[in-house]
Parts: sequence; structure tokens; C-alpha cells
Amino acid sequence: MRVKAKLYPKEAARLLQEKPSVRASVTGATLHFERNRLRAYGEIDAEAWRERARRIKDHVLTHLDHYLELAEKRLRENGVQVHWAEGPEEAHRLLREVVARHGVKRAVKAKSMLTEELGVNPLLESLGVEVYETDLGEYLIQLLGEPPSHIVGPAIHLSLPEIQRLFHDRFGTPLDAAPEALAQVARGVLREAFLTAELGISGANFLVAETGTLAVMENEGNIRLSTSLPRVHVAFVGIEKLLPRFQDLALFLPLTARAATGQRLATFVSLIQGSAQPGEEGPEEVHVVLVDHGRTALLADPEAWEVLRCVRCGACLNACPVYRQTGGHPYGYVYSGPIGAVLDPGLLGLEEAHPLPHASTLCGACQEACPVKIPIPKLLLAWRHRAVEQGLAPTWEKGAMRAFAQVMGSPALYRLFSKALRGLPLPQALQDHLPLLRAWTEGRGPLKPSPRPFHELWREIKEETHGG
Amino acid sequence: MEVRARILARIRKALKERPKALLPEHPHLRLGEEPLDLFLRRLAENGAEGHLLNQEGAVGLLKELAHGLPGVAYGKGVPTSFRLFPELPPEAAPLGVSWALFAVAETCTLALSSEDGRKAQLLPPTHLVLVERERVYSTLLEAFSEQKALPSALGLHSGPSKSADIGQVMVKGVHGPGRLVVAVLT
Repeated sequence: MRVKAKLYPKEAARLLQEKPSVRASVTGATLHFERNRLRAYGEIDAEAWRERARRIKDHVLTHLDHYLELAEKRLRENGVQVHWAEGPEEAHRLLREVVARHGVKRAVKAKSMLTEELGVNPLLESLGVEVYETDLGEYLIQLLGEPPSHIVGPAIHLSLPEIQRLFHDRFGTPLDAAPEALAQVARGVLREAFLTAELGISGANFLVAETGTLAVMENEGNIRLSTSLPRVHVAFVGIEKLLPRFQDLALFLPLTARAATGQRLATFVSLIQGSAQPGEEGPEEVHVVLVDHGRTALLADPEAWEVLRCVRCGACLNACPVYRQTGGHPYGYVYSGPIGAVLDPGLLGLEEAHPLPHASTLCGACQEACPVKIPIPKLLLAWRHRAVEQGLAPTWEKGAMRAFAQVMGSPALYRLFSKALRGLPLPQALQDHLPLLRAWTEGRGPLKPSPRPFHELWREIKEETHGG
Repeated sequence: MEVRARILARIRKALKERPKALLPEHPHLRLGEEPLDLFLRRLAENGAEGHLLNQEGAVGLLKELAHGLPGVAYGKGVPTSFRLFPELPPEAAPLGVSWALFAVAETCTLALSSEDGRKAQLLPPTHLVLVERERVYSTLLEAFSEQKALPSALGLHSGPSKSADIGQVMVKGVHGPGRLVVAVLT
């Protein structure tokens, strides 16, 4: 996909001005997810589960070469064709070959963030293949030509009236059609696609090294159908998705579900060993593509390698007061919210993504929510620090920070400046031209300081309560 | 150098100085409730219907569900005593009947094997799953620890198909069955 991470936070401000309804939709959906997660964590010893999950992921990552080789061996024993990809180039080559060999006209796709990274849909379309995103939310944004705005709920930025309008224009349903009726229309279109597609494409939540098992989670049944009905199944798997033992799924499947949606387990989980046995329904051919695309570079990073524990549950997005205002689009890449802010600089390079670590108040809610205990606030600071060191931070920021430190370090200077600032609001023309002020006021209302500074009010309060 | 070798070489280089993390064991937890009771209760919480029935009762349940329907799609493992209605292909059947490998109380999950036939588990709008009482495990860990051989695909179903992608309103039966009925056989 086209990377636009450099345009944050301008894009965030533009979105909020042009489409204010997004804020309400995203806030509503994320708070709902967040409440469900809190209830689901409350039902278990969440600290113990998360700690065990963290340790298992750290074990896998520090033995990643071993587990990748083991997984590859098991997959081959199970009759699965294994491929390795640095990124889009190898992934596209394989898809071209599969499409040509099987005469693929139609493909059904299960939601997968990695296939967004790799640009799978544009490639297939360029080959003349009709591609159907089959997750309902993903289907909606495919119809609109938009990227996903949330890892788990790709269409949470859309309001019901917008979706009603989309279906009205596309399928002629009434403008006040109920969600059930709209879902039935989508079911009809996609059922036809499932029954006729030659190719099914999925990602994977986990790949178990010891057994070569692919595990994929969902609630609609579209992933089970995408991996069961077409003749060929191609699964794209990030190299960090490994788990050592089949037993580990008994922790990671329910923990991820609890973190993502507050469920005890996703409604459907597909545990895939390989192609269909003789006489069985299922794909004749299963391919697993092990994809790097920036992950080994992250693994080599002495601080940021911990983000590779991520299970893509979206809990940190739901917990984030910054993400909740806009959803994922302004972040300008596949992964948004707190995890995007620490993952994208690693996957894309800091130059491409340096504004993202600033999309945070450092409140720490993301770390509290994370099922694998990724120290997101610490990593946000690490990326910010590096951006300054590499000269990627705006030049005014350095000067402003130095001035700020001086003012805050001297009570006299502080009082002077706080008095001077009472003269605000500054004329709009001045706000527009002082770079520091402009950086603040872009996408926000004008600065409106209270008429009297806090230290004066405080002195008064103290005098009143202590009879001065 | 081929891609595989390049990626593995980069991983080994990245991990050279990194201390190795140990692999922890999973503690087996005991549930505070009879697995069967918990299983049935959680099915209801997830919007499914669960019944504890003897053979006769289960056949009665099937008759009720199939009443007035042109036919039924059967999984391969469904005993002949349940094959009372004309068999339809899953693409056309309004009711699918499956035989589960096992069930899990903790997550109210039914494990459905590809050997039983995947289409009957997914295509009909209503899904009746039969599972023997002694195949109900209490936890996922217990169930996963005891599986010796895995089928080409094991589907774990824990409720009816659902989505809240349209305006955050929960809708059932989006792609898979919108109604899940479970008979635990005594």
C-alpha cells in the first residue's frame, strides 16, 4: 500500500475537519471493544496469562531460526508447499504462478494485515482476477476503495447511514435497511464468490512449529470458507507468528480473543494441517509463504525487537485516547494506533514514519492492555529519541525544547512568561506565522489561556483556607 | 544467496548477542464447575442452544429441526440412526448435522474434523452438532494435550456466525450458520 505516515498529524487534522462523523464512530466502537476486554481480563488471572504469553513469544523470537526451520520441515511433511519471501516481489511471483497454473479467475480473501503490506489485491487485480474480501467489514471498505482503519474492525470508522448509502448505491437496498438485511445482501454476493473461487487467500494468527499447524481466528465463518472451498489455499505468514508447541494455542487463542473482542475464544478457529485427504472436502493444494518484510531488521534492533511479540489483537488501539479520535487512516500505513507507532518505524524505516511515535500522550493505557506486555510507551520514547538524533525532528522543536527547559527551570522566568501569555488569544495572523504556535494550533482550536495563572489562584486559595 | 538462506542468516546475526529466553510450561487449571454444566451454560451465553439428551431425545430434536424441510446435509461421522431425512448437498440444505470430535467447556467449543466434511459444518444456515458426553473436556489445554493426530483441518466452533461490522450492530449468520444447536449425547 502507499505509505503516507509522514503526513501525520496533518492527515489527522484534515480528517477531523472533513469527516467529523469518524470520531464518533471510532470512539464508540473502540470503547465498546475496551469494555469487553476489561470484562474478559477480569474473568481470568490476566497478569499470569500475559506474563506466560510474553515469555513464550520471547522464547520463540530468541530461537527464531530453529523454529522456522522446524515449522518448514513439519509443513512439508504435511504436504504443504513452503515459500520464503523478503517482501512483495517474491509474494507476487508465487501468486502469478498459482494464478497461471490453476487458471484462477476469482479469489476469496480472509482478512489479513500482511496481505495489505504486500499489496496482494492490486497484484491479483492486475492479473485479471476478481478479488473478494470476505470479512464483512473488509468487504465494505473494499467497495469504498479504502484501507482498513483498525486491525480487528477494519470498518469501524463507518457509520450505519454511510453503509446504508453504500448498499443503496451499489445494490439498490432501501436507505433505511436494517443491518441484518444489509448483511444478508453481502452474504448472498459473497456466498456465490465462495462457491466459484479457485483461490483462497488468508493470513495466520499463529503457526505452530512442532506440528506445522496454521491457526486462524474469526467470527463470521468467512475464513473457514475461504480456506475450505477453493481448490488452492495460499496463506501469508509473518516470520514472527510462530509458536513452539500445539499446547501453546490453548493460551494464545483465548488470550488473543479476550484482548481483541472480549470473547473467550473467537467464534471460529481454523487449525489447518494441510491439503485435503483423498475423498475429503478441502483444498487440493496449500501454500504457506513465510514473509520477512522488515521483521528481521526489527529483530536485530536491541530495543524495538520486543514489538515482534505483537499478536495483532488491536487492544492497544482501543485503549488509546489518541487513536480513538481518528481511527487508523491518518497514520498512513497498515498498522495504526500505539502498535503502529512503534512497529511502522521499524518496518518502514524511521525516515518514513517518524511522526507516528508522537501520536501518543504516553499515558500507558496501551501497555496495560497488551496481552504480550509490549512496553509501548518506552519504545515510543526510544523512536522519538532516535528521530532527534538522526535529525528527523523539526528544527524548531529543538530550540523550543531548550527554551521550555529554561523557562521551567526558573520561577521568575516562568511567572514572566505566564503573565505574557495572558495577552492571548494572539491575533490569528501571528498564530499562523509563528511555527511553534502553528504546530500546536493546526487541527486544534485557538489557544485560550485562563485569565489568571494557576500560581496566583493557588496563593489565594491557600490564604483563604488558612485564614492567611 | 536464495531468500530462505538470506532471511535465516539475518536472524542468526540478529540473535548472536541476544540472551536466550526459556520456554515456560502451562499450568493445568481446574474449573470450579462441572464441565458439562459450564459447557451448556456458556453455549447459551454465546447465543447457541445446548441440550443434554439420550439417543431418543436427540433424534427427537433432529426431527423438530428438520420438520418441514426438504432434506438435511450430514457429516460422514453421523450415525445411521440420525439419517432419517433425505440427504441434500450442503450447498442446498437448510440444515447441516455434524459429529464433533470433542468439545471444550471453558470456551464452549465444538471441534469439527475435516474428515466429517467441512461443507455441512459451514454452508447450511442451521447447524446441529452431536457430541458424546465423555468427549467434553474441561479446558482447551486438556483437550489440546490429548490430541494425537490432527486432521487436515480442525474447525473450532463456539457459537453462531456473527459480525458487528455494520454500524456496530450484532448480526447473526453472516457467512457460517446463524443458528448453532448442540446435542450432548448421554
